Amino acid sequence: MTQQDQVRDHDFDGIREFDNRLPNWWLWSFYLACIFSVIYWVHYHVLRTGAAPLQEYAMEMKAADERAAAELARSPVDDASLLALAQDAAAVAEGRKVFMTPGQCVTCHKEDGGGLVGPNLTDNAWIHGGSPMAIHKTISKGVPEKGMQAWEALLGPAKVRQVTAFVLTLKGKNAPNGKAPEGKVE
Amino acid sequence: MTSTTSSVTVPVTYDDKSVRGFIFFSVFWGLIGMLVGLLAALQLSFPGLNFDLPWLTFSRIRPLHTNAVVFALVGNMMFAGIYYSTQRLLKTRMASDLLSKVHLWGWQLIVVAAAVTLPLGITQSKEYAELEWPIDLMVVVVWVAFAVNFFWTLAIRNERNIYVAIWFYIATILTVAMLYIVNNLALPIAGTKSYGIFAGGQDALTQWWYGHNAVAFFLTTPILGIMYYFLPKAAERPVYSYRLSIVHFWGLVFIYIWAGPHHLLYTALPVWAQSLGMLFSLMLWAPSWGGMLNGLLTLRGAWHKVRTDPVLKFFVAGVTFYGMSTFEGPLLSIKSVNALGHYTDWIIAHVHGGALGWNGFMAAGMFYWLVPRLFGTQLHSRGLADFHFWIGTFGILLYMVAMWVGGVTHGLMWRAENPDGGLTYPQWAEVIEAVLPMYMLRSIGGTLYLLGWGLMIYNLLATVRGRQPVAVTVTVPKLESTALPSSARLIFSTPIAISVLGCVAGVLFGLGNLALSTVMLVFLLMLVVWAGFLMYHSTGTGKHVWHQMIEGRPLAFSILTMLAVMVGGIVQLVPGLVLEKKVPLTASGEYAVAPYTPLELEGRDVYVREGCYVCHSQMIRPFRSEFLRYGEPSRLEESMWDHPFQWGSKRTGPDLARVGGKYGDDWHYRHMLNPRDLVGASNMPAYPWLRDAKVDTARTSTKLAAMRRLGVPYKAEEIQGAAGALLEQGRRIAEGLAAKGLPLAADSELTALIAFLQRLGKNAVGQN
Repeated sequence: MTQQDQVRDHDFDGIREFDNRLPNWWLWSFYLACIFSVIYWVHYHVLRTGAAPLQEYAMEMKAADERAAAELARSPVDDASLLALAQDAAAVAEGRKVFMTPGQCVTCHKEDGGGLVGPNLTDNAWIHGGSPMAIHKTISKGVPEKGMQAWEALLGPAKVRQVTAFVLTLKGKNAPNGKAPEGKVE
Repeated sequence: MTSTTSSVTVPVTYDDKSVRGFIFFSVFWGLIGMLVGLLAALQLSFPGLNFDLPWLTFSRIRPLHTNAVVFALVGNMMFAGIYYSTQRLLKTRMASDLLSKVHLWGWQLIVVAAAVTLPLGITQSKEYAELEWPIDLMVVVVWVAFAVNFFWTLAIRNERNIYVAIWFYIATILTVAMLYIVNNLALPIAGTKSYGIFAGGQDALTQWWYGHNAVAFFLTTPILGIMYYFLPKAAERPVYSYRLSIVHFWGLVFIYIWAGPHHLLYTALPVWAQSLGMLFSLMLWAPSWGGMLNGLLTLRGAWHKVRTDPVLKFFVAGVTFYGMSTFEGPLLSIKSVNALGHYTDWIIAHVHGGALGWNGFMAAGMFYWLVPRLFGTQLHSRGLADFHFWIGTFGILLYMVAMWVGGVTHGLMWRAENPDGGLTYPQWAEVIEAVLPMYMLRSIGGTLYLLGWGLMIYNLLATVRGRQPVAVTVTVPKLESTALPSSARLIFSTPIAISVLGCVAGVLFGLGNLALSTVMLVFLLMLVVWAGFLMYHSTGTGKHVWHQMIEGRPLAFSILTMLAVMVGGIVQLVPGLVLEKKVPLTASGEYAVAPYTPLELEGRDVYVREGCYVCHSQMIRPFRSEFLRYGEPSRLEESMWDHPFQWGSKRTGPDLARVGGKYGDDWHYRHMLNPRDLVGASNMPAYPWLRDAKVDTARTSTKLAAMRRLGVPYKAEEIQGAAGALLEQGRRIAEGLAAKGLPLAADSELTALIAFLQRLGKNAVGQN
């Protein structure tokens, strides 16, 4: 540091300049960024040992699909299990919560299930089938051409089952001032 | 060093009238720009403040806010600083008073034109490049006037070497010209409408090459130049390190250009470009901090002055905010951090740290120093300036903390999954409601900052009231001949040869062939050793001989700067232009991605005009949480006919890339008329005027023809029958809506917009 604060022999409009050495920590932050970049590039773009975003995505999806398949094998969805769930007060309460969340079922089917844009869920008529599995399918896959969204991805399998259970409890309640029945009486 | 100044002296009278003009307009437009920003911020909390007026709606005035702050506030401030300091650093008056006038008044005309057209929805929908082609042409004319004036002044200078501030001004003028022209290349179809020549991913890459470097070369380099002049002046201390100036200047101008793709991480952009964006952002950190260090370390021995001098307070805080932003930028460019922060208010916090902290405070410091000097007096009130400083600092911090919290909250809520695999927060309304308190805090922070700006206006007006501006005349030695080597000899020299070899080797290394990369890496290491050896022998002994020579040859300096900023753009942009576009075909030989129907194209123009991209992205990233919320990740070919691309950069509302078919036409109809009828907590503006406005079907075939000239495969009969096809598709939508009791004309703008929204994500032929 022998040249610390030596002022240069020239000024610009009165502004003078020292010619101090570059701080070592600053230089090293630059060197390290460069070294890191070379290693990163070799890893991802030369040797290709690092996973590209779409590969990472495929792995993430595969792991989730395997978890979902295992869960389904552990507790399969069928008419019997859904009917049993409809008797489970805790599950129905959870399903009710999902139903009543603004932007979800309640927006089109009304608080009491009597129907608004969407059909009445409290009568015995069903457009896409009234069996537990049919209702479950309508909720999970949706009927996009009729404005019914697919909820499987957004809500996840557990909530879809719970809300199916809740809808099963509405069946036949005939909410006052409900929409006229649509579809087939079952 | 041979003396090149003669004993002949000349009197020089500086043109400070232009400086005063630019200061006035910077302060004035700054006030307007920030008021518009405050209104936009409040609209996010209170959608009623959109007043259902098209020209006052968030999505139209938010671009007005950004353009006003960037081009009107910082632009005029930059010009004031450049005009004042350049004349004094070169010891000559600006070369042409006429060009100075053209610059001053032409720029204000552009600002007024922007303030009129953006609220009217006349826009190219590319961020910070929204202005339509006639205004773009005005910008080019005025910028050229500025450039000619500046370089002419360089040519008649009375100071042999150019100071570091001038280096940064040169980089600014040349690079902004390059960026602006390339990114705004468009095919006009009317006086107020054009389609950009690039599409989809290529357009996205070009846009963010521009957008990122507008930050670099409009908001950073000129202000660094201003810092190098005004900070040592105000501190009355020598600049800390000349060699740091050299290293960080060249590091900055070369590396900055490459960082653009960090705005497109995890998009459908090719991964190699994304990685370049991330890595060059990391390497950019040190060169950026070089500027901060040179600013702050210049204050060694003058820190006691900071306590009493508001000018230095603003400079110290401004430079510190610069350091903060240029640390946060590389941080946000790391892919995994970006996955959380992108599309959120974290980015809003980041840019306001830069705009309010760095640009706004450097502007205030410069005005407080400069205005009293221009009028030969003292600042009216130091106490008031101090108060401005504290209230402004507090305002910025409140603003940034609110947006950090809001942004991270959004990022975490978007990705949160239940143990069984569904989304924890499936409803967008839940996400909006969670950050509404932060939006309020942000508005309060912004108000405090604006209040400070108002105090500054009062203080400056009180300073100049009743005073006449000072005319400054100095006598300077005239610069005659120079004994330096010619520009050509300086360019064809060892340092440049090493740099060129380094760039070529770097590109070859990057191609990804193992053998080639290995050889090139070894070669690069040898170059580094060679360069280090040479540097040790020049800078190590304090001579800097070669660099001092190019400082005396502005032409060589300018050419080298231009070359340095061109490399990154060429490497990133050219491959996509020269490689054959991959056009996926169906089994029957049709395009897998069909061009928009005439009605959808008109709907898309409505989408662009209203500024939907301001709050909605059309780019689903490859994360499971995004798959659950929006669908499959977006693919590059899906936007291949999109002139301009609509990928967006912010999700105040949800992504729309696959919104087609998710809701019924009736849902969109009601939602556009009043979003809160369907989503109670929505903060989206209502767009009721779309229902009664009609698409100009006489112009539809012109639009299709223009698209065909840009490479979209419309057939001749499709172009001819565009209006008929439009009405036919519109009638089908209208009939469906009429059946549900919702009357709508077949050629209503709302019909067109619904058709476009229902098309999004339904790209493959046959799905439509």
